Amino acid sequence: MIVVLGLSHRTAPIHVRERLAAGPDALPRVLACISGRRELDESMFLSTCNRVEVVASVRGGLAGMDDARRAIREELARQGGVTSGDELIPYMYEKLGDEAVDHLFRVTASLDSMVLGEPQILGQVKDAYDAAIAAGTLNGVLARCVSRAFSVAKRVRTETAIGAGTVGIASVAVGLAQRIFGDLGGRTVLLLGAGEMAEASARGLGKGARSVRICNRSFDRGAALASEMQAAAVPWHELPQELAVADVVVASTASPTYVVTCDMVRRAMKERKGRTLLFIDIAVPRNVDPAVHAIDNVYAFNVDDLQGEVARGLKARHAEVEAAERIVADEVSGFLTWRRGLEVQPTVVAMRAKARAVLFSELERSLGGRLKHLGETDRAALSQMLESAIGKLFHAPTARLKARAAEGDDAAELAAAMRFLFDLQELPSPRDDESAEASDENERLPN
Amino acid sequence: MTLQLANILFAATVAVYLGASVLFAVPLLSSDGSASRASVGGRWAPRLLSLGVPLHAAHIIVWSIVLHVCPVEGIHFALSVGSMFACAAYLLVRRRYRIDAVGAFVAPQALAFLLASRFVGGVDEEPRLRSALLPFHVVSNLLGIALFTLAFAAAVAYLLQNNHLKHKSLEAIERLPPIEALDRAEHRFLVAAFPLLTIGVLTGTIWAREVEAGGPADIARAALSYACWAFIGAVLLLRAAAGWRGRRAALGTIFGFGLTLLVLVAYLIRSVMGAGGTGGHA
Repeated sequence: MIVVLGLSHRTAPIHVRERLAAGPDALPRVLACISGRRELDESMFLSTCNRVEVVASVRGGLAGMDDARRAIREELARQGGVTSGDELIPYMYEKLGDEAVDHLFRVTASLDSMVLGEPQILGQVKDAYDAAIAAGTLNGVLARCVSRAFSVAKRVRTETAIGAGTVGIASVAVGLAQRIFGDLGGRTVLLLGAGEMAEASARGLGKGARSVRICNRSFDRGAALASEMQAAAVPWHELPQELAVADVVVASTASPTYVVTCDMVRRAMKERKGRTLLFIDIAVPRNVDPAVHAIDNVYAFNVDDLQGEVARGLKARHAEVEAAERIVADEVSGFLTWRRGLEVQPTVVAMRAKARAVLFSELERSLGGRLKHLGETDRAALSQMLESAIGKLFHAPTARLKARAAEGDDAAELAAAMRFLFDLQELPSPRDDESAEASDENERLPN
Repeated sequence: MTLQLANILFAATVAVYLGASVLFAVPLLSSDGSASRASVGGRWAPRLLSLGVPLHAAHIIVWSIVLHVCPVEGIHFALSVGSMFACAAYLLVRRRYRIDAVGAFVAPQALAFLLASRFVGGVDEEPRLRSALLPFHVVSNLLGIALFTLAFAAAVAYLLQNNHLKHKSLEAIERLPPIEALDRAEHRFLVAAFPLLTIGVLTGTIWAREVEAGGPADIARAALSYACWAFIGAVLLLRAAAGWRGRRAALGTIFGFGLTLLVLVAYLIRSVMGAGGTGGHA
């Protein structure tokens, strides 16, 4: 049984989430601790800024759920330096079986993200999956489930517009600059301030720009960000000259008054010979005198101007949720059908093995007695005939058992009845069975 | 038979230009610019226009055979050929300059010029005056006007886009190309058109002297042509020297194009009124 235990931006405040979060360096250690618990078969640890989750398959099915739950809480508490796992209970959610699969698919498809449709979550789940595969903690049905979640996420992004539009101030700023300049290649971006917003904008705008320059009151802080962003730091007093060079100015200082005035911009425009200048003022209070917007070839946008675009993007994405949920539901149903089919597989395999063992044993006895005069060709023909008979005889029960399993009805009872009637005591282990049936799985689980 | 074919080609060209104009206009008028940019209209309008150009060329050839007139002689054919060149030039550079939406202004212009060339006034069936300079004069003017038409279209799109930006209508700006791309395209078309128009003016001046055209009407038309040429030159000069970019350059281009239209109308009226002179060349 698959279980997801964790906490997210919906259930836990940031100070709780950040305690439990594990960076890429700590991931192998956390995985080793979780996979070391005998209550769990497979496990994966997902840690993002908005979510910390353990996705695991429980040893012993539903009966082992209590132990598995306790084990996961203990490991999360240890990771976060919390005295007891019980302290985490108010912040945690739990998804079991079908719900867990649905949750994993929704998370990977970014339907449960703080910013709906954001693309980063897919990469983060992939990183968690790779780490778990590398650590050997994912190797069965759960691995298959997570890998299926990637296909679901891709399908959701392809078939819906869940990722369309821009929904963050920084990305809206980048989009605006691109809509004014087309290509940012060959453009110079000037950041006023060196805070978080400046950094986020620099990451977006800096990708395509020819150069990024950071102008901050504290030169050292500006230089520190500049070295991180492969940008150039410029002293604050050179701001007027920088305005003559820059094409896009992103202002995000904490200044209570305008740091860019109309006179400064008019002088800069003369030097620039009228080249277009875009101001993106994401500071509150504003850093750029709004009157500069009236100057020819100068455009100034503030947070309120951009907020409308953010709202528009989010509205468009929310309109796609229904279609995305339908895809997830369809995929969950497909996965569960495949999974249920897998549950009766050991019975089917054991049933055929038993029939083969009995029939071939009888054949061997006959070939050593009354039929010992038969040549190799005839013996081979008899073996072939028995194989064919077994195939035909067990085709209908196999197909019907799998069909009942897919429907989720009484397959477990039917499988138990088969085991009772055919006296199937020894069942192959689920993992052996899964690998033996790997090719079959690929055929039946749509990609 | 040939007349029938000319009529069929004319009707087909009109239909295709009309369809392209409508398809280009749909994304501009749509309430959701981002969605409509990739819509059927957005994808099919340039394809339809590129079908219209060969149809237009075929119509010009067949129609000139019907009238026994060289296609580049006479103001009517010049209008038609010029608009066809403008469409062809737009189709060639639209991706490179990222000015797809400018087709919304180019296609209706082509349609209007095509209709005007057919229905306004009569075609001079025989050019009265010939000169060795005639091919240079006509071809340079045709190409110059075609490129100037594109500069005008880009300038109009620029002013619309500038208006959207000044009103901070972020949804609307998605319907038109980036404002810098429009400014750059407008300038490049103007730079390319100016030398061609200069050749047109020079050859026209020499030709006028050859044929001794000196009536008041001829002088007025020539003066208007010189004024138009000088104005376009001034727009380019001010951009380079005084930074008259963007809105000012767009307004200058639109005004210059207006003057060019006046010159064309002056020659068209002369042709309609059947005045004598230099054979109806712009």
